Amino acid sequence: MHCRAAAAALMLFACAGGLARAQTYGSATPPPRTTDVRQLRALAQAREIHERFAIGIEAERKGRWNDAAAEFERIIALHPGEPQNSTAQYDAGIAYAHLQRLDDASRAFEAALAGDPEFLAAMANAIAADLMRGDLPRARRIADRFVRLAPQSARALYSRGLVALKQGDAAAARESFAQLLQTDPQYALAHYNLALAEIQAAQYAAAEQELRVALDLAPAYARARFALGTVLLREGKRTEARAEFEAVLRDPSGDLALRNLALAMRDAIATP
Amino acid sequence: MSRFGFRVILALTLFAVAAGGAAVGVGSAASIESALQDALQPSAAPALLGPITEAGRKGWACKPEQAASARHWQDAELPPAAP
Repeated sequence: MHCRAAAAALMLFACAGGLARAQTYGSATPPPRTTDVRQLRALAQAREIHERFAIGIEAERKGRWNDAAAEFERIIALHPGEPQNSTAQYDAGIAYAHLQRLDDASRAFEAALAGDPEFLAAMANAIAADLMRGDLPRARRIADRFVRLAPQSARALYSRGLVALKQGDAAAARESFAQLLQTDPQYALAHYNLALAEIQAAQYAAAEQELRVALDLAPAYARARFALGTVLLREGKRTEARAEFEAVLRDPSGDLALRNLALAMRDAIATP
Repeated sequence: MSRFGFRVILALTLFAVAAGGAAVGVGSAASIESALQDALQPSAAPALLGPITEAGRKGWACKPEQAASARHWQDAELPPAAP
């Protein structure tokens, strides 16, 4: 009996010691002490990179894009190792994109990917920059790579589908948005974009079905309602098409250009 | 002016009016078709992902990289579902 109590007490004591050790702080990192010029230069450069990252990111958070670009350009000029090089290129790309220096942005994201070929955020932003530039082949090349590396990524599938739609590649767009909807069946935009792919492929019944799902999920989605009107018109369902165009017109918060077009379409459909 | 000359001028005028009308009709149809194409544009492109600290994309707190690899649209910083 006494032996068991003693053993239990010993175990408790051992555990408490372990817990106490886990809660103590490790010994402080000693400050670097050297008189070697090369080492001192390297330490100064590391410090400069650290400070410029902090200043550059703060400038981006405040929307001071010129200041941010200058900080990241300086970091890149210092030729840091990874991950700082690809990260500085990525951060510079964001600043350039906001400054509408889209070619520079595209080059910076590409450089980030050269430094780190699996940098998914750089791929996402490279596609966004190339879409802004209107460079669809380049955007598509990166989007295909993005999907290959991260086949479950919603961003990769959405971006690839969007680029494919803009290129008129209905099959690739359909594949990407259908895959996105397997994970996210409640995403109305994916249903809308899938419908556009079906329209491109002249599959109007499938397009109608997708647009009806999109509108069930987001009844105020005026662009989807307008698209449904045009699909119904192509299917020869004039009365239903007219009703959809009228519904677009009834939405006071809708896009004015879309409402004007809906008005023209409604009036162009002769009443039965 | 002779009767023949008058007929020629009338015929040419009618032809010009008809051709003009047809051109307006074709132009109008083309502009509606072009407007339709504009209206049937894909949804918006996703916004740029935010900046990354010097720790790089592999840090556990790197939100842009997490957004880029997220499986669900809400976590991927994609445009909202109900525009």
